[in-house]
Amino acid sequence: MKKTIVFAVLVFSFTLSPGQDLTGKQIIQKVNDIMNVETSWSKSKMTIVTTSGNNRTFVSESWSKDRGEKNLVRYLEPSRVKDQAILMLNNADDIWAFFPRTQRVRKLASHAKKQKMQGSDFSYEDMGSGDAFINDYDPKRLDDEKIEGYDCYRVLLSRKPDSDLSYSQLIMWVVKDNFVPVVIDYYDEHDAQRVLKRLVASDIKVIDNIPTATKFVMYNKNDNTQTEMELLEVKYNINLDDEMFSERSLKK
Amino acid sequence: MRRVIFVGIILGYLFSAAAQEKVELFGYFEPTGMGVKLDNKIQQLYTNKLRVDLKSKVGENVTFAANFDYITYHGQTLWNILDFLAPGVTDAVPPAMRGLYTIPFSDRHFLDNAYLKIAQKYFDLTVGKQQISLGSGYVWNPVDVFNIKDPLDPTYEQPGHNAVRLDVPLGTRYTLSSLYSADNSWENSAKLIQFKGRLLHFDYSLVVAETVWRFHDYTQFDFSQMMFSEMPEKRQLLGLNTAGELFGLGIWAEYGYNKMESSKDYYELVAGTDYTFDFLTYIMVEFYRNTLGKTDHHLYDINDWMRMYASEQKAICRDQIYALLSHPVTDFIDVGTSCIFSLSDNSLALVPTLNYSFTENVDIMAYLNVNFGEKGTVYSEKSGNGGLLRARIYF
Repeated sequence: MKKTIVFAVLVFSFTLSPGQDLTGKQIIQKVNDIMNVETSWSKSKMTIVTTSGNNRTFVSESWSKDRGEKNLVRYLEPSRVKDQAILMLNNADDIWAFFPRTQRVRKLASHAKKQKMQGSDFSYEDMGSGDAFINDYDPKRLDDEKIEGYDCYRVLLSRKPDSDLSYSQLIMWVVKDNFVPVVIDYYDEHDAQRVLKRLVASDIKVIDNIPTATKFVMYNKNDNTQTEMELLEVKYNINLDDEMFSERSLKK
Repeated sequence: MRRVIFVGIILGYLFSAAAQEKVELFGYFEPTGMGVKLDNKIQQLYTNKLRVDLKSKVGENVTFAANFDYITYHGQTLWNILDFLAPGVTDAVPPAMRGLYTIPFSDRHFLDNAYLKIAQKYFDLTVGKQQISLGSGYVWNPVDVFNIKDPLDPTYEQPGHNAVRLDVPLGTRYTLSSLYSADNSWENSAKLIQFKGRLLHFDYSLVVAETVWRFHDYTQFDFSQMMFSEMPEKRQLLGLNTAGELFGLGIWAEYGYNKMESSKDYYELVAGTDYTFDFLTYIMVEFYRNTLGKTDHHLYDINDWMRMYASEQKAICRDQIYALLSHPVTDFIDVGTSCIFSLSDNSLALVPTLNYSFTENVDIMAYLNVNFGEKGTVYSEKSGNGGLLRARIYF
């Protein structure tokens, strides 16, 4: 019995050991597990900061189910976009947008993911779509690096040939202690040396036992603008009916 | 004065109710200026529209929503349609009747929508004046027997229709909807059934509808009614609609076969595609056929033109192509151009557009409308080159 306990402790400490020799694939799998919880709800504030200091703020609610495979986002503020909603199913392969002023639901093709979210520096694709890091990129571990005050794994994610995503590659810095990605560089589709955008995550809190970055800033190197995203409230593993992710729910 | 008091009472009630957090109150103010060049003279029309929306959760799964519109018109508020038409069409109108073809723009206020929605697990029931949006076409919707969009401004909100609507979800992929829009009798009322589903990456729907189409004979004036003679006719529609993705392109198609009670049956067809490039330029192309339209512009008569301007008929030419190109030049400014080409009479309307998000809750939109078509064609220079500038202030 004692032997069993010692063995279990050894296995447990080995599994959690930050210094272990994880491959790029294993690191990204852990990132994916942390980012895609079974179900979640959040309320967030997005602020677009332009070079002229002309800021815009949006508040939205979002629901997610089946580890990010189903997503629904509904805008609460400002009045101009109130009740506009976006439904993404099958890891964002199917997208619908609802426009309350015309009561019209429009099916969007996946190319719409390249468009900016409300003019921000986040595209719909950047917001993540389920298992995209695993399914659309090949990971390769690079040299570890300290960044933003965290000891991090550094992983190169090269786009798979059959993927239709907009970036040729990503470089991700993942905190060794909790597998939260704190920095992601997004590279130009046609020039793998050119960084288009950088995402910096901060204010990591443990919510419902899940380490969660609650602040994000996307720096657009092209336009010299930035967009800040703050999670105001987050809940994980809540009860969500499949009906929540339907066209009917989009209109509510 | 009485109107102002009436509006004041309504708004006062709404604001006091909102203050008690019973009602969500929102809406917009929309000043618009438009100009049209006609016979080397620019004529202008200005409008101010105030839309006040309210929404209230009146019980568990029960919502009441409504909006009230108040619109004032200024400048050239009387427009004679004959001024925009070719002499070959207007010559047939007796001089004494020319004044009857004038469209007046008078200040108006109305309850655009007011409905109660009961959302239960097994159905949604919506009762009252409500927007009805059918079909996936961007400019034209063959399966929509209730609305006709303006091709120059196809995303503008449509008016509410008095109806009872029942939506029954069949799992998460299918929905059966039925709609009844009452008129003076069961026979004259509009009835619609729609089955909507999803297959792979495609949405599809089958629509069956019956309505009375109230178009007019614009050569016969009924002085007892002080309006052109109405020619109501029963219309039965069988429609199909689909939208999805193929080879990375967004695609959609809509078809509607219209069986007419006395006139000739006709069909409408829409097929469209769109794409967003990596550099964020967006392009869309939509083809539209309406066999009610004519293939030769020499055959357009006064009824065709009036029915089009009065939004009784979607098109007077048979085949058209709409194309839209837009690009975000900054985070808050989109520029683009749309063009509508009539394949039937070789005329073209070019519409350069600018959308500017001025502040968080203020949008500014401007477009020019330049027509390139010979006299008598649907987009002829004679039918008016012009432009529009519109701001929308949301609250």
